[in-house]
Amino acid sequence: MPPSERLPLEQVLEIVSALEAVVLRSFGPEGGQVLFTRDTGQAMLSRSGTCILSALHLEHPLARVVVESVWKHSRGTGDGSKTFILLLASLLRGISKATSRGPSASHAYGFTEAAKAAAAPYFANKLLELVSSDLDDLIAVNVVPYGFCVSLEDFTTHSGRLLLASFFHTRVSHVHCSYLSELTCEMLNRWKYKSDLPYISFQFLSDNFPALHTPVSGFPVSSSRLIEGQVIHRDFATPCLPSKQQPVKVVVFTDYMQPILLSTGDVLKLGYGGGVTPESSIVHFSAWTERSLESVIAELQSLGVSLLLSAVKQSDAAVALATQAHMSLVECVSEEELSLFVQLSGVTPVSRGCTIQLEHVAALSFCRPILLGGHRYVQVAFCESPKSSKVNPCSLVICGPGEGQTDQYICAIRDAVCMLMTTWEPKHTSETTASRGTLQSDKGTASLDMTPTFQSTANKPYGLKKCVFEPGCVIPAGGTFEFLLSRALPNPSSDTNGLPSVSQLLANALLSVPRQIYSHSPKLFLQAQTRIMSLVQNPSNPFSLGLKESTPGPMVDLGLESVTCKYQLILAVVQCATSVLRVDTVLHTRTALHTQSKKHTIFSRASTEDEAED
Amino acid sequence: MSRVEKKAPSVCTDLPLNNAEVCEKLHLMKELLKSCYGPRGRLKHVRNNIGGRVTTSSASSVILPALYSSQPLLNLIKTSVLNHISRFSDCGLFAGVFCLSLLEQARRHELRESLAIKVNKHCLSLCTSYLQRDDCACRVKIDFSSSQNLMTLAGSIISSKPACLLTEAEKLHISTMAVRAFLQTIPCSSPGPVTLGQTVTVTVRGLPVLDSAMFPGLLVETHDDFNQTDSSSELLRTVLFSTSLAGDLAELGDGTIEADPNLDTDLQILDQLLELGKQLVEDEVRLCVCQKVIHPVLQQYLRSHGVVVMERLGMALMEPLGTLAGTQPVATLHARIPSTAYGRVKNLSTKQFGFKTMLHLQADGEAAVCTAVLCHRNETMLDELKVVWRKTEDVLRLTLKEPSALLGGGCTETHLSAYVKHKLSLLLQGQQEASETAAGLRCSPAEFLLGVKVFCRSLDMVARSLEHDGGSSAMDLNHAHHWTVSANASEEDMAGGLGLCGCGLVENSSTEWTFLNTEYAEFCPAPLLGDSCRKPTVLDSFTAKVNALQVAVETANLALDVRYVIKDVN
Repeated sequence: MPPSERLPLEQVLEIVSALEAVVLRSFGPEGGQVLFTRDTGQAMLSRSGTCILSALHLEHPLARVVVESVWKHSRGTGDGSKTFILLLASLLRGISKATSRGPSASHAYGFTEAAKAAAAPYFANKLLELVSSDLDDLIAVNVVPYGFCVSLEDFTTHSGRLLLASFFHTRVSHVHCSYLSELTCEMLNRWKYKSDLPYISFQFLSDNFPALHTPVSGFPVSSSRLIEGQVIHRDFATPCLPSKQQPVKVVVFTDYMQPILLSTGDVLKLGYGGGVTPESSIVHFSAWTERSLESVIAELQSLGVSLLLSAVKQSDAAVALATQAHMSLVECVSEEELSLFVQLSGVTPVSRGCTIQLEHVAALSFCRPILLGGHRYVQVAFCESPKSSKVNPCSLVICGPGEGQTDQYICAIRDAVCMLMTTWEPKHTSETTASRGTLQSDKGTASLDMTPTFQSTANKPYGLKKCVFEPGCVIPAGGTFEFLLSRALPNPSSDTNGLPSVSQLLANALLSVPRQIYSHSPKLFLQAQTRIMSLVQNPSNPFSLGLKESTPGPMVDLGLESVTCKYQLILAVVQCATSVLRVDTVLHTRTALHTQSKKHTIFSRASTEDEAED
Repeated sequence: MSRVEKKAPSVCTDLPLNNAEVCEKLHLMKELLKSCYGPRGRLKHVRNNIGGRVTTSSASSVILPALYSSQPLLNLIKTSVLNHISRFSDCGLFAGVFCLSLLEQARRHELRESLAIKVNKHCLSLCTSYLQRDDCACRVKIDFSSSQNLMTLAGSIISSKPACLLTEAEKLHISTMAVRAFLQTIPCSSPGPVTLGQTVTVTVRGLPVLDSAMFPGLLVETHDDFNQTDSSSELLRTVLFSTSLAGDLAELGDGTIEADPNLDTDLQILDQLLELGKQLVEDEVRLCVCQKVIHPVLQQYLRSHGVVVMERLGMALMEPLGTLAGTQPVATLHARIPSTAYGRVKNLSTKQFGFKTMLHLQADGEAAVCTAVLCHRNETMLDELKVVWRKTEDVLRLTLKEPSALLGGGCTETHLSAYVKHKLSLLLQGQQEASETAAGLRCSPAEFLLGVKVFCRSLDMVARSLEHDGGSSAMDLNHAHHWTVSANASEEDMAGGLGLCGCGLVENSSTEWTFLNTEYAEFCPAPLLGDSCRKPTVLDSFTAKVNALQVAVETANLALDVRYVIKDVN
């Protein structure tokens, strides 16, 4: 029997509260940054909950499970990692309070430890049931009408910017929020596929983000900018010759131009069984490789090619011959950049042994060296072609005083794109939804689904249910979502056992978020709550009116947030709470390299494996 | 995975700027950087813990990398300043001192962090927009038709680093050289986009500084005895090889070659190399340069045919040599070398510098390549001279981007500080706008003024850092220039005038003074009128200083925004 450790609810709460204390420093509009240094001595700055939590190197298996859930959630939606911890902590606090106070009926018999231990998983299961069955409808009916849908045409206008600005407000230093959101907006506009769904272009940006940005340290943030075309993060291997020819013709190589005669393991036998003939000389072979290289170069010359991009380092001879043929060569281009280049230019890369034809040649409007920070890179811009005419390709240059800051901004922009992707995720019509009623909101911009029957979805894990809201649905930030949802949750005073209802627990946990937002002045919290409640009482004046007209509504200065992200956040938090509460004991096993089925045991009742060995 | 080890939990610090220990460290670093600042700055010996070589310097680019701190906040500031230096070379100490002063002053005046951030940002944008304006009184246009301002700029940089230990004459000599080298690398004849040339630096230890010299073309160190009779003023046909000529066939791949014992592959390859040599001789090549190694037999063959051979040139010199000779390197061994691959070099001769023998190659026609030979008496001083030389070179090049310079000697700082103070108090007098600005920053006008005071004090602090000998710093209440008052000066001396201001543009113009660490009523700094025929004697790089200002404020803002420090101790 391995040494085991009981895991009472108090201890779970303690651990999550410790995480909360760390995250709170950077939560909300008054939050600051967290600086952390890696074991390599590299300094990183962050306000991202995921980064902060994963930097902690936690030892307790439970804390690790929590951090892992946060990580999974924020990788999916790009947003909400700090709120995750906050919600989880207050949810657990609520449950702990409920169980310790106990049902009034049990006072006579004394509230046993066992009953207490059983209460927490009971709540957890009830909560999971509640959110996986009713939450989407609750939100659709009670929250969505107070928000509105941002279409991508709106994106350049006020609301798109506001959505991004409020996102950056939670992730970077305040003074740079507006600058970064302008920049991101501009980038999204340029990358917009006119005919396709916004989701497609967000997906494309998110997939190709590593190849689309360049961090430059040593400059102020205000030097960040967009530049035309794509930046290839390599320098010319040959002296760049100014090409007068327009357009610039380019060929992409994935392999060596000079054939490799002997790969590893091959054996070349020379001079056996014959006299010394010219064919038996080693020089003969080396001359052959050179001649075939020359023929490749001649072929390229006949096609008028003046730029070569290569995924590998070419031989000295290839570099020298290309230079003499007045071609510029860029070597060791990374796979990501090359694939983006191929997508944008529509060219077929030349692989080993194939002859170069017209389909391998792409046309560029220019190709020039560009100096970014201490490095010289190659900037290429694409000619108008059927594929690329839809978008205006551009790359992002992010400047900051140091590497830590540029990384932070890049991370924030990447997550912003991810957040937008979640927000604009196309609506999946669930087959299980039996009857659907479409309700037009009063401005007619948002249509939403009502699913009166939901028993069929009740038993499904939440992961299978996809987004049920209209793409682009947003709501004013600053706790509006939490106020509205907590009000909407059904509120029976208590269930038959005398325990508080789970919806009440969830509602209280939700309210802790705005409470934390306005933590610097409790007066503001009450003001905000009253304002929202009065708006609910008086439905002729939802926020959407204030937003749509040019006069800014009362809550608009707080920004906007995505309803889909919030919905997924609550699902993830409740799921995490459930998995945490179902564990009651930690087993410290001694097997050093025991790696099998970690996940299965960790969530199962009464057996949690110590993960310290990985 | 031979050893499995638990990772230690990270060490956390909550609200680092309220931590006395952290503040003490920040203060220490500020004092250290301050003491290095300016032409009278104190020197620092840098030595590692195992008794390595001692470096003497007061340059931030030397001192900062040597500083190691366990405090992440200090490292953050350090890397920001180092990044700035790596882009602009100049104004590193300025950025460091200003950033640390902002932090210290904000703490001393108990300013809320979030407010300090906003006010700093506001003041910074005021400063940068003022510096870009045409009527900016602390900016000087650089006129490329006269070398005066360029010489002043170069001279200011060289004299700001006292560790070079240069006399006035030597300073003048080096700054003249720097300006000449700068002008030489700008090609004047080619139309269209201009590619700047290169200056190659060669250092020689043990010779007097006045022996330093600038040569057009390239000086390449050579160890072979070079026959003086070969030196000629005629054109020499030149070939450059970028591949090895030692007979290794690296291009064949990683496979193994099995050869018949009767077969001598080395000999075959050598035959091929000699074939190449024969072609070079036939084509009347007189200079053969190889980046890598040349087979000794081939070398011998070429030499015997009167070809000058240079091998192991290295990557760094290949590009300038290619530009100089007007050719591209060759890397094929089997194909015939096309005649276009040959370049030309003029006036081959040798130069002797101390113990170094160098081959001097000159371009046929104009090529923007030149070589600077820097000499100094010992290695430490030579190292510092090299640092300063590179810095001067970079700063002079920056003037091509933005042909301006800022007044040096602390005058820009005091002027900006007076300007910001004046501008914002004007704003507060027009109550309407002021309350709007304050509301925009979500603070009261009083808090706002406190923030401005912190910013201005920090700027003044940088100007005050120039004085190290116990004297005090003063500012006139007319032009807001910076003056140094020596420690033993009396009231009467001050009334009688302080001579020239820090940048040498104003002489004794005002009788009203204020010491920099005291309160003074705001005033509008008057621009200098055109009647002054004085030229500034100290100038700073405009581009570098503006960037340093921005980087310092942004870094300070970041540090103010840090609420929690997590340190991985694994």
